[in-house]
Amino acid sequence: MLKDITLGQFFPGTSPIHRLDPRVKLLLALIFIVVLFVINNLVAYIIMGVLLAVVVKISQIPLGLVLKGLKPIFVVVIITAILNIFYNTTGEVLWEWGFLRVTTNGIMLGIFMAIRIVYLIIGVAIILTYTTSPILLTDAVENVFSPFKRFGFPAHEIAMMMTIAIRFIPTLVEETEKIINAQKARGADFETGSILKRAKALVPILVPLFVSAFKRADELAIAMECRCYQGGENRTRMRVLQTSRIDYVAIVITVLVCAALVSMNFMEFGWRA
Amino acid sequence: MKPFISFENLSFKYSEEEPRWVLENINLTIDDGSFVAVLGHNGSGKSTLAKHLNAILLPTEGKVYVDGIDTCDEEKLFDLRQRVGMVFQNPDNQIVATVVEEDVAFAPENLGVPPAEIRERVDWALEAVSMTEYREAASYHLSGGQKQRIAIAGVLAMKPKCIVLDEPTAMLDPQGRKEVMKTIRELNKNEGITIVMITHYMNEAIMADRVVVMDEGHVILDGDPYEVFSHVDELKSVGLDVPQPTELMYLLKGAGVDIEKTVLTDEECAEVLYNLLEGQR
Repeated sequence: MLKDITLGQFFPGTSPIHRLDPRVKLLLALIFIVVLFVINNLVAYIIMGVLLAVVVKISQIPLGLVLKGLKPIFVVVIITAILNIFYNTTGEVLWEWGFLRVTTNGIMLGIFMAIRIVYLIIGVAIILTYTTSPILLTDAVENVFSPFKRFGFPAHEIAMMMTIAIRFIPTLVEETEKIINAQKARGADFETGSILKRAKALVPILVPLFVSAFKRADELAIAMECRCYQGGENRTRMRVLQTSRIDYVAIVITVLVCAALVSMNFMEFGWRA
Repeated sequence: MKPFISFENLSFKYSEEEPRWVLENINLTIDDGSFVAVLGHNGSGKSTLAKHLNAILLPTEGKVYVDGIDTCDEEKLFDLRQRVGMVFQNPDNQIVATVVEEDVAFAPENLGVPPAEIRERVDWALEAVSMTEYREAASYHLSGGQKQRIAIAGVLAMKPKCIVLDEPTAMLDPQGRKEVMKTIRELNKNEGITIVMITHYMNEAIMADRVVVMDEGHVILDGDPYEVFSHVDELKSVGLDVPQPTELMYLLKGAGVDIEKTVLTDEECAEVLYNLLEGQR
């Protein structure tokens, strides 16, 4: 059951999206997020959706995986949409009850927020993390933030923590399952009773899990020291990040498309909030 | 010739207040290129001894020298650790990166080796432990024996002169144990790497050139496997077993059968028994 977590996993491949420099991907993802929240034209969102579908197609991520990645956030999308409908009260009033008022602009905003969250997940959580190896992604984070080191920003440490966290997720998931089975074998009951009772039943899982995690941390630290780990100073990397033509092409296309989409904010057609 | 490793009057305890020494007055030298097994039951001090080899622990009294470096010399700490690679019991807790080759690259990256040379070292280390085909695999998909070989490759990439293994097979199944022992033997024979292996499996200890037996912080027996395992009574008195063929010969000898030499392996045992039965015809 715990192995169903797909969000944030990497699926190796050789598509052009896989081959992009991870730093470029990080930059493009950032541009994408900003533009996503700047545009306010339904036609622009539809165009963006089509383009995202094209990128998913190029990246060879199976459609099933995209839908699987979206499933866990479905409830969040619905709730956000509903809240936003009541947030904007300008425009033509369609329905009113006490202090609640639904207007055309409110409905538009609700739809836009739902679209934004769905696109955000597809663009960042799915396209970015499914096509980039976690190591490359952490390398990129370290690389992009290293200029801020002189202001005391711990770029290397953060990247190293991400690497270790990613490395230990499957190990700890496996361990959790073992502990659950061991406790079940001793008669523990996780499936019946009130929420409070079920929450209490988790304690005998969490305690051994944390004890073992601390023990692992201790052993890993010694093993890292034995392999001459001394922080980020003077460290080299086996894989040197390099930008190539495909990266420049991707940057140019993204910037042009985004500029076009943003410019639609100032045009007279489409629906907007 | 100066020995590669020398313990000089080494004594150790974890804190001043503790009355009991964990290691007491150890004098031991280990030659370059040898394969030494350190035996002892739990709490005999064998792991503590191993941890002195790359300055995870420092002597309370006495000195430890490795390749001419005093382990107390902080300035040479990383020289020392690069020379002496350490492999621990649980492979899961030594692997840093998810992808196999990224993990093997961890140590040379720390040492500031140029990228092209890291690539060479990683390829060589994976080849040496026969794991080349798994270089892009995720470590959590591998078996215990494979993970432990990756951990060995991870220290091998530092190009160490010596590898210390602290019960490297204790958490493995028989198949994984066999793989790891084969790898260790090959590294000793083909690459000339000095091996110090802590173990409590007798059939692993007999593969070494030399066996050191520890009890209560002292070295009680030291010699080649034939010599050490001829002291059956002494080994039993400190809670250790002897290999099964040795035990059988020992019992036969006790029952009055005339057997001269110590045997360690099944083959030797079969040969001795065969000759014995031939002689009785």
